[in-house]
Formats: sequence, structure tokens, C-alpha cells
Amino acid sequence: MELFERIAFGFSVALIPINLLYGFVGVLLGTLIGVLPGLGPVATISILLPITFTLEPQQAMIMLAGIYYGAQYGGSTTAILVNLPGESSSVVTCIDGYQMARQGKAGLALAAAALASFIAGTFATLVIAAAAPQLAEVALEFGPADYFSLMVFGLVGAVILARGSVVKAIGMILIGILLGTIGIDVNSSVPRFTFGIPQFGDGIEFAVVAMGLFGIGETIANLARSEGDRTFVKDFSGLWPKLSDLKAILPPSLRGMTLGAALGILPGGGPILAAFSAYSLEKKIARDPSRFGHGAIEGVAGPESANNAAAQTSFIPMLTLGLPSNAVMALMIGALMMQGLHAGPQLMNNKPDLFWGLIASMWLGNLMLVILNLPLVGIWARFLTVPYRFLYPGIILICCIGVYSINSSALDVMLACLFGLVGYVFHKLECEPAPLLLGLILGPLIEENMRRALLISKGNFETFLTRPISLSFLILTAILIVFLAAPRLRSTRERAFQEQS
Amino acid sequence: MKVRLTTDFLTGLLFLAFGLFVIIYGSRYPLGTAARMGPGYYPLLASSGLALLGVILIGRSVVTGGGGEVSAINLRPLLMILLGTLAFGLLVERLGFLAAGLALVLLTRFAERDIRLAETVALALGLTAFTTAIFWYALGMPLRLMIW
Repeated sequence: MELFERIAFGFSVALIPINLLYGFVGVLLGTLIGVLPGLGPVATISILLPITFTLEPQQAMIMLAGIYYGAQYGGSTTAILVNLPGESSSVVTCIDGYQMARQGKAGLALAAAALASFIAGTFATLVIAAAAPQLAEVALEFGPADYFSLMVFGLVGAVILARGSVVKAIGMILIGILLGTIGIDVNSSVPRFTFGIPQFGDGIEFAVVAMGLFGIGETIANLARSEGDRTFVKDFSGLWPKLSDLKAILPPSLRGMTLGAALGILPGGGPILAAFSAYSLEKKIARDPSRFGHGAIEGVAGPESANNAAAQTSFIPMLTLGLPSNAVMALMIGALMMQGLHAGPQLMNNKPDLFWGLIASMWLGNLMLVILNLPLVGIWARFLTVPYRFLYPGIILICCIGVYSINSSALDVMLACLFGLVGYVFHKLECEPAPLLLGLILGPLIEENMRRALLISKGNFETFLTRPISLSFLILTAILIVFLAAPRLRSTRERAFQEQS
Repeated sequence: MKVRLTTDFLTGLLFLAFGLFVIIYGSRYPLGTAARMGPGYYPLLASSGLALLGVILIGRSVVTGGGGEVSAINLRPLLMILLGTLAFGLLVERLGFLAAGLALVLLTRFAERDIRLAETVALALGLTAFTTAIFWYALGMPLRLMIW
């Protein structure tokens, strides 16, 4: 069995002590920021991006991935105990999880969330190990025209599944694309939009934009918001579920993980969408839907399993096609780029240790997370009592150190400051900044592939339609757009994101 | 007709302005042909798209009044956080990391109203010492701690 050999190879890499250590640091940080409301994986990974530059590529990826799925675990703790989403994908967990906690079943809710996440994490690891090599094989055949169409498909998908206004999301992608054109044009060596500043020749650093928008911008937005009152559930006994409880947790976990794994692979998909979909699914198939909202255990296990599965399977398109399906994956590609590596089908062959080590580390990370989150939940709950005023100056300070350390450039710090302002403006205008990051990552690749494809076809745009792979992606894109225009789907989409309020 | 300054309207204005700026500024770069694209081709495509979206947003919000009003802007956190980062950027290469870090924490701390002086000073010293230990000492980042 080739699959098992590969997984075994992955474990041999992931179990190297230094890799284990960085995996542990990742899931520890992930749990911490998952528990803390107002600090999510996008901001954290942006902040740590420059620091990973000093690490080996495998360690960097293992740690960053741990932050992402670790946050899915930590987020549920806050959702259940305080009725606040510690992490945006645990919004739905608040609904039934907090109700369970108020009925004195906080321990059971926490156990359901952690076990469901673990089941889903195990399954998702297997899905990645099985599906990623196949997809990478296929992707090796892709020509420039095919890549162009794939990325357009990815961006359109990201817009459709994103929250909020579609027009604004497309606009944000275009702004990202335009920011990506800053720097010396590779084909003509003409400096574009550098405004005579020599440092802009290499383009603006991805980490600077990400950190400005998410690290600084969101901190300002958090501070401007009032804290609200927190009612804390402190009794979380009964962390070890009985056999009958396990029977109640298992079926929704299995449904959630299947749904989540599928939605994670889609462009634009990811934990938030997965959690919402799993919740509506559970509610729909329940014998007595009226229990939901009053402490139904399925309403905790289903979404928590789905968000963790989706967080992990969203690595598949990123690792194999170089296609980021959400902002975190865009950051991962950014982290690889800083290491001089390109996400895409070659990664598996050129860096098998990184590829398989990362996959195996996910399962190990999930194992560590169950231990971190169940017996030690009391410690995390204590972090919730730390006031924000002690946290945010530290966040901003680490942001600045990170930005400065990329190129030892004070100009980068000023630039991050500017993007912090821009991020706040976007926040006020209700524009999600995540699509901008996707545009910034994909923009230069789209340009390069479009130019190459048209050079090969001597300027004939039909090349995008005559190549079968390219054509299929464009047809898929067209189907997505038709769906977007269809009023029925639009109302479903709006409803899917409404349940949060 | 009274134009409401809704989020949609202002976003449209922003998109249109940014798009037009790039179109005009980018006109200095040669377009080339589809087969041999010049440096100006792709930015023109993207910026025209952006300007068009801006027009759509403005038009739609004027006709339907879509989008909510912009919520109140809380100037204090905005200014203090930006000032803090700016101070860090200005000081880190002039006075060194220690001064820049202290200035950043002290300034950003003023983003909130309830300031206890002793606590704030302790926080600034603590955070600067902590980050120095991690980034300079443990991770070996090339930060200059003090510049005279």
C-alpha cells in the first residue's frame, strides 16, 4: 500500500523532536488565540509570518497549520463558557453550547466539541493523504491557460461563498490584484507603481499588507467596540462523557466531518461555511428540531466536527494547486513564498518531507489538542479573565517587530501602519478584507499565466476555450455565476449566514 | 434627490477613485498587444473593472438607498494605535528597539480611557523586556537595542 508508506514517511518526519515541538507550539498558540475573542488565526498567522522566516520550511508550515486547526478547538471553549465566539467559525457553537452550559452540562458540551473535532481531524488527515497526491498528479499536466482558468474559478468561488456583498468582494479582489502589480514587471523590467521609491521595486511585502489589515486594523476595530457583558459559566464538571453520551455525539460528528471535509476543498469554503451548513443539516434531520437553541448536543458536535474537517481539507487545493481557498491559505502560500517555495503540484515531489510531514503533523496536532483542551480546559478558561488592555499593546508590538524584521526596514512598519488605517476604513465600510489577500496572492500568478498562455497562442483568446482543462474550469465558473444570479440561491446564501445573529 | 452617505455609496466612491487613479497613473506604461502584453495591460484591465464596480455601487445606492449608514467612528483607538506603530517605525532605527518598544506600548495604551499610570509603565517595561528576550535573545533577530 503506497498510501500507508507515505503516511509512515510523514510520521517519520513529523515525529522528529524539533518538528513535534513546533507542532506543539502551533496548537498551543492556536488554542490560546481560539479561546481569546478578537484574535483569530488570520491575524495571528499574519503576525507570525515574518518570524517563520527564521525557521526551516517544514517547521514553519507545521506550526502555522497547528495555529489554524488549533483555533477551531479553542474557539468552542469560549463559545460554550461565555457565549462569545472565540473564533468566528464557532459562532454556531454558541447557540446550543452555551445553553448546555447553563443547564450544568458545560463539561459534556466541551467534551462533545473536542471529541467531534478529533474524529473530524483524523478523517480529514486521511482525506488529505489520499486525495492530495491524485490532485497533484492531475495538476502537473496543467498549462498556463489551464492555470489561468483555475485561478479565475477559485476567485469567483471565493466571492460566492464569502460573506457580505458580492460586488464589494470582487472589488476587494481587484484592489488586491492591483496592489500585487506594484514592483518591477518581470516581463519588461519596467517598474510599475513604485512612485520612485526603490524599496517598492520588489513589490510590497505580503506580510506587511496582511499584518496591517488584520493585525493592526482589527485591533483598532476591536477597541472601538464595547466589550459587552460576559456571563461566565465556571462549572465544567463531567468532562468525561458516558457511553450513552458518546452514542449521541458520534452520528452528528460523522455527518459534520463529511460535510466539512467536502466544503473545505471548495474555493471560498472553509470552517465558517462548514459550521453553518452542518448546523442547518442537523436541525433539518433532527426528529425534534425544537430542541435546537435549547442545548441540543448535535448542535455542538456537528458544527465543531465540520469546522475542524474543513480547516484541514482546505489545505488540499493550496498544497496541490497553489490555490488558496481562504485568507489563511493565502497566508500559507505567503509563508511558503518567503521560504522560496511555491505551492503547487511540484511541492509534493520537490519537498516530500515537508508535504507528508505536514499532513502527519495534523493528526499528531489533533491528538495534542484533545489533551490540551479537555483536561486543561480550566487553564484556558482563566485566560478569558485577562482584560484586553493587557493584550492589545503586546499584539501591536509583536506586529511591528515582525514587520520590521522581514527586511530590517522601518519603511515597512510605516506601510503596515498605513494598511492598518486602510483596514479600519474597510471595516467601517463593511468590506471584508479577506478577498484582498486572495487577489494579492493570485494576481501576479494570473497575470503571468495569462501572458504566457496568450504568448503561446499568439494573442488568440480562444486558447482558454479550446484546452479541455481550461474549458472545464471556465464552465464551472460560468455555472457558479449563474447560481449567483439565481434569486433562490441568493436567498439561501443570505440565510446560511444569518443564523449567527 | 438626497444622497445618503451609506457604506455602499462610500465604498463605490473609493473603488471609483482608486480605479481611476490607477488608470490615469498607469497610462504611462505601454499596453502592448494581447500576444505581447506590455506592463500596462493587466493593471488597466483590473483598474477598469474596479472603477466599473465603483459606478455600479454608487448607482445602486443612489437608486435603492442600499447599504447601512456608516457607524460612528471612534477616533481615540484609531489615532493612538496608528501613532504607536508610527512611533515604533520612526524610533527603531534612530534610538533603537528598546525606546521604540516602550513608546509603542505607552502610546497604544492611551487607546483606552481607563489608564492607571503605574500599571501602564509596568506593562510597557514588561512587554519590552519580554519581546526582547524572545526575539532578540532567543530567536536571535537582528534588532539593535540601543542606538546612541
